[in-house]
Amino acid sequence: MPVVSAFLVHGSPLPFLRPDNPPWRTLDAGYRAAAASLAASRPDVIAVYSTQWIAVLDELWQARPHSRGVHVDENWHEYGDLAFDIRCDVKLTEAIIAATPKFGVRSKAVDYEGFPIDTGTIIANNYLNPRGKLPLVIAANNVYHDWRTTQKLASTAVACADSLRRRVALVAVGGLSGSIIREEIDLATDHIASQADDDWNRRMLELIAAGRMPAILKACPQYAQEARVDMGFKHFAWILGGLGGSYAAAQVHAYGPSYGSGAAVIEFTPGAAKRAAPQRTAAKKSAKRVKR
Amino acid sequence: MAKGKIVAGYLAPHPPHLVYGENPPQNAPKSQCGWEQLRWAYERARKTLDALQPDVLLVHSPHWNTQLGHHFLGVPHLTGKSVDPIFPNLFRYDFELNVDVELAEACCAEARAGGLVTRMMRNPKFRVDYGTITTLHMIRPQWDIPVVGISANNSPYYLNLREGLGEMDVLGKATRRAIERTGRRAVLLASNTLCHWHFHQEPLIPEDMSQEHPQSFDGYKWDMRMIDLMRRGRTQEVFQLLPQFIQEAFAEVKSGAFTWMYAAMGYPNIPAELHGYGNVIGTGNAVMEWNLDRYGDQLTVHDRPVAA
Repeated sequence: MPVVSAFLVHGSPLPFLRPDNPPWRTLDAGYRAAAASLAASRPDVIAVYSTQWIAVLDELWQARPHSRGVHVDENWHEYGDLAFDIRCDVKLTEAIIAATPKFGVRSKAVDYEGFPIDTGTIIANNYLNPRGKLPLVIAANNVYHDWRTTQKLASTAVACADSLRRRVALVAVGGLSGSIIREEIDLATDHIASQADDDWNRRMLELIAAGRMPAILKACPQYAQEARVDMGFKHFAWILGGLGGSYAAAQVHAYGPSYGSGAAVIEFTPGAAKRAAPQRTAAKKSAKRVKR
Repeated sequence: MAKGKIVAGYLAPHPPHLVYGENPPQNAPKSQCGWEQLRWAYERARKTLDALQPDVLLVHSPHWNTQLGHHFLGVPHLTGKSVDPIFPNLFRYDFELNVDVELAEACCAEARAGGLVTRMMRNPKFRVDYGTITTLHMIRPQWDIPVVGISANNSPYYLNLREGLGEMDVLGKATRRAIERTGRRAVLLASNTLCHWHFHQEPLIPEDMSQEHPQSFDGYKWDMRMIDLMRRGRTQEVFQLLPQFIQEAFAEVKSGAFTWMYAAMGYPNIPAELHGYGNVIGTGNAVMEWNLDRYGDQLTVHDRPVAA
């Protein structure tokens, strides 16, 4: 198994652009903790799936060797610019593109100057790969792909990495509860949009931290529907697909609001679930410690 | 200052394929041909727009999707390269446009006074979305008329349809007030496709028109039904059917531009001119015009769709 670390992270630019805002400090710190863990795992490549890169025809993969520039978010343009410097593992990407038709998904390489790399990918790269030294594989979120297809895309990416002897850090970029605050607020008062959403997010984070896979898989569809989870929580399918369906442990580094919606930074320890028992309690406590 | 007015509204869809098919110098990819019926429909619309001599073009685009409120371009001059995130192989367009900031601010203020959350987009590095650019290029490739760009707030998807389109109605009426207050001769552009069922794989040659046809017969029939009503000026029936049309044809008019335009025009019971209809990756697209200028002061402005 070439996966050396895995992370489910949010793609909101707000904590990155305003890290000192009290409700967002936790998310900023959580991302920085995840960055340290990722660096310690010494990957050769980061395999990113972002819910914010939408595809509707085929599966798209970023294949431009080097992209750099300034991105302005279409929603949060008033909070500033997002510089980015992203390198791609073109060889691995080409191998993945060649492999996906075997399970009925046609893939395409995206190699165009000025391509609008999505905010979520940029935020994840800026936090987790701040000097842009590690190359990325970046997969689009085809909105018509289901949970199973997303898992298959991730497992295929990992298998291709294995064949090329790459050590992989898996990164899934997406949110938790999707209800937002639709009014202008004092940013210092940002909060999860509803108590029900907050309860759902905390319940899922506890399940994930405890590694209770049957309960997690059972809860996911209901969670996705009732908490209006970002893209049906498909980004979690990317993690599970890449990890072979289970993990040894999970730690919630952060949980908090992003203008009403739920955001988290979760680290997964690759490996068989049975080895995780001593850490589950700690992970669960971590989830419970999350401040609102 | 004379009172401003809306001289026309156009349903002006934004498939980037149309720019690709036309091969303008601003767009890097080059095609052999493609989507002529729609491109020639836009050629007819260009002529009528030219005759109207508007001061400003206002465009509402579903591909500038905003979460917190309705946003308006607020930078006087914007340039850059717009690459379509879905079809980067077809659309990589060097754009340069001038914004009527005074009118944009007036629209923003009127909509806020009407109870909506609004924002001005002041970041000069902002990349204008491909929907806005495609619609503007197709209707006025000279780029010599200032524009007001308006985002599509996600309310029709986030709230229920009635509430979401209700916001677009308020936005349209606010737009009308702003145009009147600032003395502009304005043209409205609703950047929307009709039936939005589409294919899931692109032909190897994107402009291979032997591969182009309606993705859905039911969707095609819906498009024809709605176009027929619009051509007959049956505005009330159009809006009575709109929720069912949106649901059954997955119509992109859900995103709000169509309702915004109609509300701003005062839901006129006048026949629309169909310049042309065509499919793009199976979706249904109509270029249509409501020429209000032709009716002068005879036109009744309605607060909501009413029977003709």
